Amino acid sequence: MAGWEEVFYGLVKAVELIFSGDPDVVQITILSLRVSGLATLIGGALGIPLGALVALRTFRGKTLVVSVINTLMGLPPVLVGLVYYILLSSTGPLGFLRLLYTPEAMILAQLTMVLPIAAGVTISSVSTIDPKLREVAVSLGANPLQETAILLWEARVGLLTALVVGFGAAISEVGAIMIVGGNLLGYTRALTTAIVLLTNQGEFVEAIALGIILLTLAFLVNAILTLLQMRSRSSLFAQIYTREPRLKW
Amino acid sequence: MTASIVFFITNPTSTTRSRLVIATTTSTVDSGLLDYLKPYFDKRFDADMTWLYLGTGQAIAVASRGDADILLVHDRAREDAFVASGNGTHRATVMYNDFVIIGPVNDPANIRGAGGAVEAFKRIAEAGESGKACFVSRGDNSGTHAREMKIWSAAGLDPRGRGWYMEAGQGMSSTIRISSEKQAYTLSDRGTWVKLKSALGEALRLQILFEGDKMLLNPYGLILLNPVKYPKINSELAEKFFLFMVSKEGQRLIESYRVAGEQIFFPAFGKAEDIGLPSEEEEVRYWIKRLSENGLEPPPWVKQR
Amino acid sequence: MKNICLDVRRGEILSIIGPSGAGKTTLLKLMNLLLHPDRGKIFFDGVDTDVDEKRRRLLRREMGMVFQHPALFDTTVFNNVALGLRIRGYPAEEIRKRVEGALSYVGLRGFAKRKAFSLSAGEAQRVSLARALVLEPKLLLLDEPTANLDPANVLQIEETVRRVNLEKGVTVVIATHNLLQAKRLSDRVAFLWMGELVEVGETREVFENPRSERTALYLSGKVVY
Repeated sequence: MAGWEEVFYGLVKAVELIFSGDPDVVQITILSLRVSGLATLIGGALGIPLGALVALRTFRGKTLVVSVINTLMGLPPVLVGLVYYILLSSTGPLGFLRLLYTPEAMILAQLTMVLPIAAGVTISSVSTIDPKLREVAVSLGANPLQETAILLWEARVGLLTALVVGFGAAISEVGAIMIVGGNLLGYTRALTTAIVLLTNQGEFVEAIALGIILLTLAFLVNAILTLLQMRSRSSLFAQIYTREPRLKW
Repeated sequence: MTASIVFFITNPTSTTRSRLVIATTTSTVDSGLLDYLKPYFDKRFDADMTWLYLGTGQAIAVASRGDADILLVHDRAREDAFVASGNGTHRATVMYNDFVIIGPVNDPANIRGAGGAVEAFKRIAEAGESGKACFVSRGDNSGTHAREMKIWSAAGLDPRGRGWYMEAGQGMSSTIRISSEKQAYTLSDRGTWVKLKSALGEALRLQILFEGDKMLLNPYGLILLNPVKYPKINSELAEKFFLFMVSKEGQRLIESYRVAGEQIFFPAFGKAEDIGLPSEEEEVRYWIKRLSENGLEPPPWVKQR
Repeated sequence: MKNICLDVRRGEILSIIGPSGAGKTTLLKLMNLLLHPDRGKIFFDGVDTDVDEKRRRLLRREMGMVFQHPALFDTTVFNNVALGLRIRGYPAEEIRKRVEGALSYVGLRGFAKRKAFSLSAGEAQRVSLARALVLEPKLLLLDEPTANLDPANVLQIEETVRRVNLEKGVTVVIATHNLLQAKRLSDRVAFLWMGELVEVGETREVFENPRSERTALYLSGKVVY
């Protein structure tokens, strides 16, 4: 079959798979959502406060910390997978946890990649908040915790973007979860690793079908972000599309 | 012409050596045999032998699109289908290795004393049902997987979906490592096993628990792609590779390859009946002729014919 | 800053005038306890403010500050005005009453649901004022609140300030470079120049009979830098 035919049949197959509720596909999709979803939530829950802390405080070595976080944002997934494999394998230091080849190991690996992204974007979002707003918060009598909460709320679009970007990276990631998850049918097989397997088997149509499902998930998440962005002023996008007056003050 | 120009641009260090692309499986590559053969072939034919690292299904799919020059796999049913469809012109069995059943050292299913591969699998299933053992399958429609399913079917069992049976959906090395972690049984080709064991040593907590059944023999087929159907492939060099593999030199090299001191592959050109396969006389005769036309010698056991 | 020896009397409106960079903002920030003096003491309502941050925060909650730029948060007008009350932990019903009251007071009744960033400059500054007033502060600090506004808005804000001072007895300190505004609004005037408090006194006195030569030069419009 020539190339484009496969894409077309892949599309057809994708629709078929989704609407027939094929149990294997459903399970694989749910696992992908669960692993990447939890990884994003946990990575965000840890990374956002960390980023806020770094952004709002001055301390010695701050530049170094920010550089490290920015570097970690670009961690190669296979490397993360490899390190966790070595740690979690039965002959490794954390082998007693028996986490290797479980979805929990996959979540661990992915949240390690999401955390620096969440922290890094939080740092840049919070740092670009008008410093006068920080003054206002303090002058209104906010304590440090309240101040942080107020500024994080102000930067919420940036933070949400961080989570969506993190989720997108996680759900399309394949190297780490292949290594620490093992692609076991029914346990640790996610959309991306299933696509690798189908490709290895020469079953390109099915592989493309799963790929389309994956793209659809990513698109839906991004659509939600775009909708939320439109309701806030801080994006140029919002100003063009909602015709709200540009700020004069 | 275009191919060699592009080749030249992307490979500035190489000369105008002709490049051969072999579509082959992960187990073949993992065994290291091709790395062993490469310097001999390259020198003899002034060529650059390269290979793709694929699953059996993908290797065949790639070959049928003309994205490789020659096909080397170990799944007889699909090899025959490939030739029957007209995608391949010549097919010969060139070598064989064997599969072994590996598992945890304490052998909970007690397959060490089994009379055959089928009985071993039966014992594993029984132990699995009573929660004492588990099995990890390649689960990827590879040649190895096909053989595994054949044995299950001969035992009258279908383990898919059972709690003790896991499908890894990955290559042989990964599957072995998963089995080690889970202390499970698995079917592996000897080559990959020996190589991995010698690399990981004690870290790989498994052992060969059963071997030697005829059902575990694993013959490899080399298939020449149809030059009419695939005009863009390097059919000239592909045929040279075929000649090399069935020649005295090639067959001897296959026999002499060692991993950790063990012989993994056994030459099989012209020996089809000896290992229980249907006769390939016509094919063998064709290649004896081609060998002499090219000034090459056939292996000694074939010369007498 | 030097030689700052200043009394702010309860219930008065005090203007701080002087050229740009004289330190007016700094002085207000000191009063709002956003800054610490290197030397000297600040007393608020008789209390020494040189204490730990927690207690300073409590004192700060009895004041309200309005900055030169509205500095509103990216949310509704209601949320902006309610912020101070939420920080103090007031119950929702109370917050609603107070916020609507404050918005009416500054002439923005019905603006509660508008997005802060959709307001005009004058409206935004009034929200900023409402945000300070809703806290019912004892002291209201205003840093050039009408510097960027058109005359109509300027007068409206001045009127609100006057009302809140008369009706509720709020003490007001307003920094301004608008001399006419200072004359219109304040009871007393303090002249700040290069960080130094040059002169302070009743408005009419300072404007008509300045004691210092520098004050006279500044008031007559000959720029003193």
